[in-house]
Amino acid sequence: MDRSLRSRLEARLGEYLRAPVYQRNDETEIRIDPGAVPDVLRLLHDSVDLRFEILADLAGVDTGEVMQVVYHLWSPMSFDWLRIVADGLSREDPRAPSATFLWIGAEWLEREAYDMFGIVFEGNRDLRRIFMPPDYTSFPLRKDFLLPDDAARSPGGGVRHVERTHAPATLADDPGTGIRRAPVS
Amino acid sequence: MSFATRTWGGMSSRARLLAIFIPVAIAAAVVTVGALVLLGPPFLDFLGANMPLVRFVVAAVAILLLTVPTAFVLIYLELKVIARMNLRVGPNRIGPWGAAMSVIHGLKVLSKEDFAPTGTDVTVFTLAPVVTYMASVMSLLVIPFAPGLFGQDFNIGLLFFFSMGGLTVVGLLMAGWSSFNKYSLLGGLRSAAQIISYEIPLTLSVVGVIILAGSMSMNRIVLAQSGSALDWFVFKQPLAALIFFIAATAEANRTPFDMTEADSEIVAGFATEYSGMRFGFFFFAEYVNVFIVSALIATIFFGGWTAPFNWPWAYNLNWFHPLSIGILGWVLIVANVVLIGTVLFAIAARLLGGREWGLWDAIGLGFLFLLVVVAGLVGTAGFIAFDWVAGLVWFMAKTYFFVITFVWMRATLPRVRVDQLMGFAWKWLLPASLLNLFVTAAAVIVTTPGGAR
Amino acid sequence: MPAPQRPPRPHKARPAASAASASAAAPASKGAKRTRRPAERQPSLDDPRIMLDRQISSDLYEPIPPYPTRTEREAEFYTLGDGEMFLNVGPHHPATHGVLRLVLKLSGEQIVDVDPVLGYLHRGVEKICENSDYYHVIDQVDPLEYLSSLFQEWPAVLSFEKLMDVQVPRRAEYIRVLSGELLRISSHTLYMGFLALDLGGLTPILYGFIERDEIVEMLAALTGARMLFNYFRIGGVNGDLNHEFMSRLGDWMSRAARQTEANAGLLNENEIFVRRMRGVGTLDRAAALSYGVTGGNLRASGVPFDVRRAHPYSVYPELEFNVPTRQEGDSLARYLIRVDEIRESLKIIDQCLHNMPDGPVMAKLPRLLRPRPGRAWGAVEGPRGMLGVYAISDGSDQPFRFRIHDPSFVNLETVTALLPGHLLADTMAVVASLDPVMGGIDK
Repeated sequence: MDRSLRSRLEARLGEYLRAPVYQRNDETEIRIDPGAVPDVLRLLHDSVDLRFEILADLAGVDTGEVMQVVYHLWSPMSFDWLRIVADGLSREDPRAPSATFLWIGAEWLEREAYDMFGIVFEGNRDLRRIFMPPDYTSFPLRKDFLLPDDAARSPGGGVRHVERTHAPATLADDPGTGIRRAPVS
Repeated sequence: MSFATRTWGGMSSRARLLAIFIPVAIAAAVVTVGALVLLGPPFLDFLGANMPLVRFVVAAVAILLLTVPTAFVLIYLELKVIARMNLRVGPNRIGPWGAAMSVIHGLKVLSKEDFAPTGTDVTVFTLAPVVTYMASVMSLLVIPFAPGLFGQDFNIGLLFFFSMGGLTVVGLLMAGWSSFNKYSLLGGLRSAAQIISYEIPLTLSVVGVIILAGSMSMNRIVLAQSGSALDWFVFKQPLAALIFFIAATAEANRTPFDMTEADSEIVAGFATEYSGMRFGFFFFAEYVNVFIVSALIATIFFGGWTAPFNWPWAYNLNWFHPLSIGILGWVLIVANVVLIGTVLFAIAARLLGGREWGLWDAIGLGFLFLLVVVAGLVGTAGFIAFDWVAGLVWFMAKTYFFVITFVWMRATLPRVRVDQLMGFAWKWLLPASLLNLFVTAAAVIVTTPGGAR
Repeated sequence: MPAPQRPPRPHKARPAASAASASAAAPASKGAKRTRRPAERQPSLDDPRIMLDRQISSDLYEPIPPYPTRTEREAEFYTLGDGEMFLNVGPHHPATHGVLRLVLKLSGEQIVDVDPVLGYLHRGVEKICENSDYYHVIDQVDPLEYLSSLFQEWPAVLSFEKLMDVQVPRRAEYIRVLSGELLRISSHTLYMGFLALDLGGLTPILYGFIERDEIVEMLAALTGARMLFNYFRIGGVNGDLNHEFMSRLGDWMSRAARQTEANAGLLNENEIFVRRMRGVGTLDRAAALSYGVTGGNLRASGVPFDVRRAHPYSVYPELEFNVPTRQEGDSLARYLIRVDEIRESLKIIDQCLHNMPDGPVMAKLPRLLRPRPGRAWGAVEGPRGMLGVYAISDGSDQPFRFRIHDPSFVNLETVTALLPGHLLADTMAVVASLDPVMGGIDK
């Protein structure tokens, strides 16, 4: 729990933060708009007192209402992990700027987020599917993904009744256990 | 259904087998006896008149027949020796200590489907293994196995061997090109580049030996090394021996120079699309090549069939004439030796092995042991009595020593990269062999009284 | 193809049970000639089992994608220059460390460009974990990097413990470190063996497997499994140390150092091996940071980032060990770093054994785990790099999002920068020196 990190972040990124800097255990979390991602990452990378040079992870998240892109960074100046949540991507057309201008390694991580969620990273030179075959039509890790639905659209077809054309379910209660899912912030 | 169909259908499989076999055997016996009686004498007269032709045919057939068991033995040796170096056991299920492994591999390879992949040039695809195999086999013609035991004594024997080595390249290139496969193409081109660039140091390093021996004939080279071990050319031309060893490893496509069949990079190189007996030919050709280069090293630098020291006695078993006992005598001796020897060794096995050995196991083991002992005794007698047996034994010992060295290198060393391989040949081996040649020539000129020959 | 029908063979006198069937069958086929049904003889041309010798078109055997290229990089890669060709170091290959497809653009033997194609081992682990409860996740996440399974479980339990605010007993932490370091040694020994195998040496891998077998037998005595251990639990480990484990460990430790030096010496002092690795695939410091490479590959390029020191977890702050770093960044440096890491791990195991505290090995947890809604990130230093897990909980008994960050994934990405300019034979040296495990890359 690095208090000085919190003050440094608020000093540097004041106008970009959409929520107070949240710290828990050994992680610091900030929320920004997707459009602000290049500026924020550039500031974090280049500032002399922040120096977040190591990209630990780049992930996509589907909360059910919106999509997020979550970055994890590490700096030698602080003991905490920094988590940047670029919140508020729409589920119909999720777009986010690419981080490949700063870290080339983000290319494959963004390809994975695109493949699994459909998030289009503008500026990524190579945004194609990485795990699924190139002519796959669904995005598997989305919350509204159902396998029979996808099998009906895939060229492989599916011969069993359950794999045939099927109206997609809406995300309400979990049909399996009936647990009402709490809203994820 | 006809009578034939009903009868045939009604027979058991054993009856069917006999019904085929007995008439065929009778017919074959009749034909053979008739041919022998009618055509025998004129044929023998013809053969007697053309001894060189006979000798050549016998030698060629013997060499062709020799290659397959040699390959089998080498394959088995390689599997076992590499396994022991890898701290594992190797094949030990098939045959005693896994010795029948190679035979089973050979049969398996024969029983595979014979196909050529789509897009290949089928004629070239089929001929490539033949060319490679024949190149290896023909090189065996010039190697002197023992005094008097060689295929042909060319007076350009060494040159003949190098040209056959070049013929291997043609086979590998044919294989690489005709398989409709980029891996094969890469493998074939690599092999061509490698073999051609290592031919030059190979040939040049041997010229020193040719100067010292005065001839390119392999027999003369071996005879020039007769005497004691210190007359062997390895002590007079150590650099040449080293260069020849390295270049020969590259010629035979062995590790560390086995880029052509690097199976962690280009799957199986030129042989990727081959299966069945075609692949079997490549496989045999490779092992025969190993045998040939080992034999060459033994012949050129280590004295061939000469013994390391002057054999102290030339013993002839002429106090004992084999035919004096007669056929009945031999039959009685063999039968008695077999029975008594088997029983004795079976008893010994049973006593030593405890209750593990059942009756038939012990008898079988006893028989095998008897065979080994008798072979050893006969071999020793032959070694003492006949100089060609002694020569053959020395030759084979030296050759297999080098074969095991090649297998050892395969187990230990990783592969050299293509450009490093070629750089090594052109930048290091070639100047070294040239240096060796000049020094040898200069030494000969200086030391021969009255100038060079 | 199914064989053509044969008439039944005439039977000899049989018991009456089959007489009916025989007599029923016999009249139908008596006197029938052998007929071949046309449908079986000439199957339909659409049957995929038949391959006709069609005209070979030039695009039939190229790996050029049969769909139009969609991205800039794809278009750039799939246009051939003069004298270039594509070579598919395909998913079926003896030396690609799993099912990895590298499409190489070659000019002769020299590599011009490379496009790795992944996904052949994609199992949807993240999605499965979203539908499993928290205990089951540990089992699901094991086969990611199957050679070092405990390091997959560790960040998962670490992040779950942060979500649930669970305090892990110190003895459990020490056992985790001990088993983890043992597995690190095993993984690195195997790495050395596979590296040698890809370069052509047949022997070091078998020596490596001797070491691995001993370690894995030890861990089987401890955890019950040889490869996919399923040993860590949220709040501790599943089962304390037992006598067999300790005796095997003692036996092995008495000769481990000497054995490691011998195995390493087999490769270090081999001129051919060193010449093939030195200067090949050099990754400089800026590029390594830019690619997000972690682990031994990053330390070989001069950045001393080790999660055990940079962001300590478990009991690593109390243990004394060095972080080996080298400056060259070539394949040889990456290999030598792994050898150094084995020595450091031996030191750590020594210290663990000396300082092992007593106590429980598992914290008390409710049967049904329902953490509060929240987010947690946990990262550990695995043999290949930094393994991270980002877990989001929504209050139910299944994780809402379970994101796995795998080090081999980013390590493999560097191949696009490292390979061009080298020869085909260096592909194996570079890929093997990066130590990718396809299970983790493809999740």
